[in-house]
Amino acid sequence: MNPVQSDNAIKAAARASVTIGRPADELRTLWLDPGTQSRIWTHFAEVNPLDGRTAEWLARGPAGGEYRWRSEAVEVGPDEIRWSSLDGADVPNTGQLIFRPAPGDRGTELHLEVRFDPPGGVIGEAVSKLFHIVPGEIVRHALYKFRALALTGEIPTTDPQPAARKGGADR
Amino acid sequence: MRALCWNGVNDLRVETVADPAILNPKDVILKVRLSTTCGSDLHLIDGLIPTMREGDVLGHEFMGEIVDVGREVTKVKRGDRVVVPSFIACGQCWYCQHDLYSLCDTSHPKPELQEPLLGYPTAGIYAYSHAFGGYAGSHAEYVRVPFADTDCFVVPDGLADEDALFISDAAPTGFMGADFCNIQRGDLVAVWGCGGVGLMAQQGAMILGAERVIAIDQYPERLAKAEAFGAIPLDFTKVDVIDALKELTGGRGPDACIDAVGMEAAGTGLQHAYDRVKQALYMETDRGTALRQAMLAVRKGGTLSILGVYGLMDKFPLGLLMNKGVTVRTAQQHGQAYVPRLLEHALRGELTPAALATHRFSLEDSPTGYHMFKHKEDGCVRAVFAP
Ligand SMILES: NC(=O)c1ccc[n+]([C@@H]2O[C@H](COP(=O)([O-])OP(=O)(O)OC[C@H]3O[C@@H](n4cnc5c(N)ncnc54)[C@H](O)[C@@H]3O)[C@@H](O)[C@H]2O)c1
Ligand SMILES: [Zn+2]
Ligand SMILES: [Zn+2]
Repeated sequence: MNPVQSDNAIKAAARASVTIGRPADELRTLWLDPGTQSRIWTHFAEVNPLDGRTAEWLARGPAGGEYRWRSEAVEVGPDEIRWSSLDGADVPNTGQLIFRPAPGDRGTELHLEVRFDPPGGVIGEAVSKLFHIVPGEIVRHALYKFRALALTGEIPTTDPQPAARKGGADR
Repeated sequence: MRALCWNGVNDLRVETVADPAILNPKDVILKVRLSTTCGSDLHLIDGLIPTMREGDVLGHEFMGEIVDVGREVTKVKRGDRVVVPSFIACGQCWYCQHDLYSLCDTSHPKPELQEPLLGYPTAGIYAYSHAFGGYAGSHAEYVRVPFADTDCFVVPDGLADEDALFISDAAPTGFMGADFCNIQRGDLVAVWGCGGVGLMAQQGAMILGAERVIAIDQYPERLAKAEAFGAIPLDFTKVDVIDALKELTGGRGPDACIDAVGMEAAGTGLQHAYDRVKQALYMETDRGTALRQAMLAVRKGGTLSILGVYGLMDKFPLGLLMNKGVTVRTAQQHGQAYVPRLLEHALRGELTPAALATHRFSLEDSPTGYHMFKHKEDGCVRAVFAP
């Protein structure tokens, strides 16, 4: 593998970690709640859970591009949840969330990885062009939203709020 | 409603905007009773903080009355008169539970704008650029306050609005700066800056038992306030600050130095001229005159407490701190950790925040208020707006 390819491969495999001061089983239950999935990916995609194991995803790209896929849980264990897009996905991808105990009184570490495998082998930069967001940001922001939800029951937002633009409100 | 909006460098206008609404279950809506200017706003108005957007509602130091509550608010209620710290904190995360409220893990809605600069997102703050969360500010008739049970503090009946107002920002910031100094018997504390934050740091240091407090600035009316609080005033344009501090401390130097000036320090000499040119060219954001002086003045093994806001200063004489074994403490204010005790100190008259409220304006006249505050006209320490 030449260096350029390996660089792209890293970019297409987006990873992020957060630590949340709650026990793993509680976080696992919250993650698997269909309502959670539809709230934590909003910066990237609309997620419509069909049941506990499958969901429909719609990611919008620049210039009106729309990419759809259906995802299915392939493993739901005590320390690990894995899912994968099904055949026919516009942008095939797989995801993995690992729970690990954090040291001391810090709760649980969550390690999230999503790998995109766009058709034709375009990866890395291409993924960010496709969705208008870099892969790292997709997973980081999802984990931050999940952390807020787990700790406070809500996700921080300013949308909409007063501002002297767009008719007086920021959206 | 009407609100004071940022429209670009030195361009503030009162405009009609939408009313805020409850967005999350722990939110409340406050009818603003008083809202005030802060030295931090000057960094925004002067264009030194990126990621402001035209039309942003300004203001982060405020108090008011709760007029609407979200469905999960349990401790505060409609009709309560409350003061709110400028940083938004959830009360649930590791940072909040360790009294590090301005580092809250969950209140920043736009972490992607801040994380590249700082490595991690901080708490969100009202009206302090989108990199700090982009929350609409308090120079308005109404403001939305998230996490109301953690962030709204009921003002006791005997305390005036003007006193409660500064317990939102200037007082907890100054008090935290004094708290950082771990003041021991016989300690002398020097404070650079006699704006709202510096004056409150001086009173804080006295409450925490400093033997003497020395106040440094150049504006006679601000130095007079410091003196009235019991501090020893020093005009940095009239004396050599380092010499004067050595004399006042028997050659030892202050045990702790507090920087309540920040990146727009006034100064003299070559280093200051260098900073000024670089700042004008946007090569760096900071003029660190006061901070560098505090680093030189602090005694060996002493404490440097930094409250002034800085960007990414490129010329920072770290060797001064290293070779002198100086302890550095700094933070954006962890207000929620201090507000209850500050309300008590104010009730007992040990803390007199209302002394900062030198000028009062209607919201419509707030641009004039900012002009006077920025140029320190007519002895203005803080311009207070009553919407
Ligand atoms: N850490 C926090 O959470 C926090 C909160 C509020 C404000 N701040 C920051 O604290 C600083 C002070 O805020 P403020 O509201 O009092 O501002 P202010 O503008 O009212 O006061 C600053 C004072 O510093 C004086 N000064 C300027 N150069 C000086 C020098 N070389 N030596 C001594 N004094 C000098 C000015 O004359 C002025 O009186 C600002 O940088 C502000 O952004 C930090
Ligand atoms: Zn402030
Ligand atoms: Zn928090």
